[in-house]
Order: sequence, then C-alpha cells, then structure tokens
Amino acid sequence: MVTALLIWLGTMIFSFVLGTYLCMRIEKSGVKRWGATGKIFKYK
Amino acid sequence: MMYIIVLAFYLLFTIWSSVKSLKNTESISDFTTGGHRMGLLLGIGTTTATWVSVASVLGVPGYLYSSGVAAIIGWVAGWCLGGALIPLVAYKIRRPETPVRTFPEFIHLRYEPYKQNSPLRMIVGILMTIGYFLLVHIQVVGFGIVFETITGIDYKIAIFAFLIFLLFTSIGGFWSVAATDTLNTVLIVIGVVLGSGAVLAATGGLQNIVDTLSTTTAPTIAGGPPLEQGILLSPLGTFSLSALISIFISNSLGSPASPHWVTRMLAPKNIKVAILQIMGTIGVLLFIMGPLIILGLGAKALLPSLPAGKTTDYIVPLIIQDYAPPLVGAMTLVALCAAAVSTANSMLLTAGTTLYYDVYLGIFSKKVSDKDFNKRLRLIIFVLGFLAVISAIKPPWFLAMGFVYVYGGFGAAFFLAVFLGLYWKRMNAAGAYAGILIGSVGYVVSKAMGASNPFLIAAGISLIGVILAVYTTKKPPIEAYEPYFEEKVSKSTDRVLSSVINRSEGA
Repeated sequence: MVTALLIWLGTMIFSFVLGTYLCMRIEKSGVKRWGATGKIFKYK
Repeated sequence: MMYIIVLAFYLLFTIWSSVKSLKNTESISDFTTGGHRMGLLLGIGTTTATWVSVASVLGVPGYLYSSGVAAIIGWVAGWCLGGALIPLVAYKIRRPETPVRTFPEFIHLRYEPYKQNSPLRMIVGILMTIGYFLLVHIQVVGFGIVFETITGIDYKIAIFAFLIFLLFTSIGGFWSVAATDTLNTVLIVIGVVLGSGAVLAATGGLQNIVDTLSTTTAPTIAGGPPLEQGILLSPLGTFSLSALISIFISNSLGSPASPHWVTRMLAPKNIKVAILQIMGTIGVLLFIMGPLIILGLGAKALLPSLPAGKTTDYIVPLIIQDYAPPLVGAMTLVALCAAAVSTANSMLLTAGTTLYYDVYLGIFSKKVSDKDFNKRLRLIIFVLGFLAVISAIKPPWFLAMGFVYVYGGFGAAFFLAVFLGLYWKRMNAAGAYAGILIGSVGYVVSKAMGASNPFLIAAGISLIGVILAVYTTKKPPIEAYEPYFEEKVSKSTDRVLSSVINRSEGA
C-alpha cells in the first residue's frame, strides 16, 4: 500500500516541479501575452 | 425522498446556469473554447470536474475493491502523471497570438497549413468523434448504475433522465459547461468526503480496513474463486506486471494527448493560467481521490463479496445505500451524478464540435455565421447525446477499463503528432499521417489480438513509422511550426494562420 501511495505522491511532486519550471520559463521569456508578470506564480 | 429532493435542486441549478450561459455565447470561439479568456478559478473547477468521471468515482473504487491498491498505481497515479504532462502541451499550443479553437484545427495548421481543407484534420475529427462518443456512453452507463441502485428507478429510465442533464449543460457551449462544472467540483468534493466519512465510521477506521485487506480471501463476486491472502495490499494486486504497466501507461501518456485536454489548454487567458490551472487541479484531486480510495478499500471490509449478477462498478452505490445516513447518501449520489454530467458534457461538446466544425464544414467547405454555427452545433449535440443514451441500454464495458481503452487509443494515435509537432521543428505532415494512422490501427489490431500492452506496441511501431516518414520526405514549411516556436511570426505565417482559422466564418 505504501508503494502505491508513494508512486502517486511522486507523480504529484513531478507535476508541481514541472509546472513551476514552465512558469519560470515564461517569466524568463518576458512575453506578457504568454503570462509573464514579473513573479513566478502571479498571473493576470 | 431525500435523494430526489437534493437531485431536484441540482437539476434546477443546471437549467439555470445553462440558460444564463446561452446569453453569453456569441461567437464560434465562445462556444468552443470560451473565447480564450477563462480565469484560474473557473479553470480549476471545470478541469477538475471533467477529470473526475464515472470511471473515477465508480470504476476506480470498483477496481480497488476487486484488485486492491494496485488500482492506485494504474489509475490514480497514471492519471496524475498524465495531468503533470498536460502543461507541456499548454506551454506551446497557446503561444500563437490567435490560438486555434479545436484539436483538429491545430493538426490542420501544424501539418497542412496550405490546404484549405485538410484530409488529416478530417481523419483526426472522425477518430475523435468515435472516441468521445464512447466516453459519453460510459458516463451514461455510470449515471444509470448510480441512479438505479440508490433510487430504485429502472436503469433504462435513469439513463433517459441523464439526457436532460446532458443536453442542458451542453447546448450552452463552453461557458455553460464551465459554470456547471465548477459547481460540480464542489459537489463532488463534498459528496466523496462525506461518503468516505460514512465508510470510515462503519468500518471503525483505516486500521480496520487495512487489517481486513491483509487477511481477506473473500471472492469479489459471491460464488467466485477466493482471493489470495494479502493480495489486495500488494503493489501488483490481482494484475500481472505487464497489465498494470499497460494500464498506467495508457492512462498517463494517453491523457495529455487526448484532444479534450489539448482543447482545454486553449481556453485559459494565457499559458501561465493554463499551467497553474493544472497544478491547482492536481491539488484539488487529492481531496477527491483520497476519499475514493477509502470508499473502494473500505467497501471490501463492509461487503466482502458482491451479490452475483452485479459488477464492481456497483460497489460505491451499494455501500452508500447501506451504510450512509440519508442526507450523506443523497449528497454522495449527487456527487456521483455530477461526475458523470461534468465529464459527459465536455466530451459531448468536443464530439459535436469536431463532427460539425472539423468534419462536416471541412467536407462541404461551407461558411457559416456564428448564429447558424451555434444553432446547428446544438442540434448535433442533441443527436449525439440521444444516440449515446440509446447505446447505453445494454452496456458492454467495465467503466474504468473503458476509459483505459479509449485513452490508450487516443495516446497511440495522437501522442507523437501532438508532442513532436510542438517540440520538433522537423516533424512534418508525412510523419503525422504515419503516427496517427499506424498508431490508431496498431492499437486496435494489437488489442484485438489480445496483446497485454497494446499502447506500447502501437506507440513503438508508429514511432518507427514517423521517423522513417519524416526523414524520407521534405522539411515542413516555416509557416507550419513557427507559431509554436517563436514569439513573433512572419507575415506569411500570419496570413496562413488567418486563412485557416477563418475558413468557416463570414457567411
């Protein structure tokens, strides 16, 4: 049971890491149309 | 009685939000993707509700009941990994200043931008219509099972009642779907949390559930073969390793390439909102999947074997009926219905839009006004919904496994066309034809031949086909890939984009 739950947890962590990385890439691009606001999790 | 009262309130809200949304629907973009202006909270609401289908609320607890914790790996973790990959699609597909409105339109622009009518777009449209029709069918079956078990109303009458919910939430277009979905998410969370609380109270707590699972040998269906002791807590459960890998891969790699998720990434205001929407959804899903795991595993402690003649899809309604207080039972019933409605309406909208916008208008090369478009699309949605209900009178599949088949098929057909199209400039039309045709045919053939992992076989041979096709044919024109790789596109690309996107407008 622990193995199954850990695999689920692992996929969730992967999701947040990948999402954060992509948000960072958007900020680095500076393109407002893509959602760049100056702060990584801030959106308009 | 309590069930009927709560459900009546739910129906009234559905009708009200649908009628309200009808007034907001003006253009083709409004109807299909909400005009590319959806905010974060509504986005999380509609994404969560679409994600949580009857395959989740009935099928997953059913597999937890019969196969043990392996279902967490196959479905819950599989879908979560699939969700984690969806932002990779959003990151690219929302780059153009004027985004596409449907998945086949993306295929058209990316692979055949100079063709006014793209054959590949139509092939994709036909495959999608078949796949989404099957997924709507699964939701209808799930609703029928819940309604019949808890209210005692005949299954066949229940599925026709479902048609009312389905039509009201679909004919208003994207905003109607999104508005009802957000309420559905709240209802699903409340319902499954209350339902799992009732199961925990009835079993005496989580430790008792684990103790039962570690010792039980009770067969899944009364009179069936006994289970091996402890198998329900082992990572593989009753699956073979290759079967579990197949389920996990179909759910994880099939999801991000599934056209309705690609289309969902076109609705938010911008790329960042789309990415945050998926991250938020995965957070909310913790509060839905967690209780569902308790429901499925706890059911084994409360009802060791299902009565003969019932499938595992019936386990949640049976447990709720027997062990939850009436109000809790009613809320859980509404949650299960909400899961079916919210997934079915999105998929019906996708199927209808594809059939009319991408296939019909492509074949007959017609231009239509926004008003005519919306009117005819509603008619197609009505016909598809009606056919889905008729087809559900005698259901052939287990719910969760039905999703695996369709997601596996979508993944095999579209994964390479989507991801290579977005991340590899050299990917061209020949590669896309090879990937989609070899992938879809390969999946159906290997499934029909009884292969244990049809997705991997189909994806493997289609990858070889794609590479051969790409390197033996010309490079794609810059107009095909530029919008997904550059911030600003050339004038020629801009002209091509406008020509394809506006091909059906302006009557």
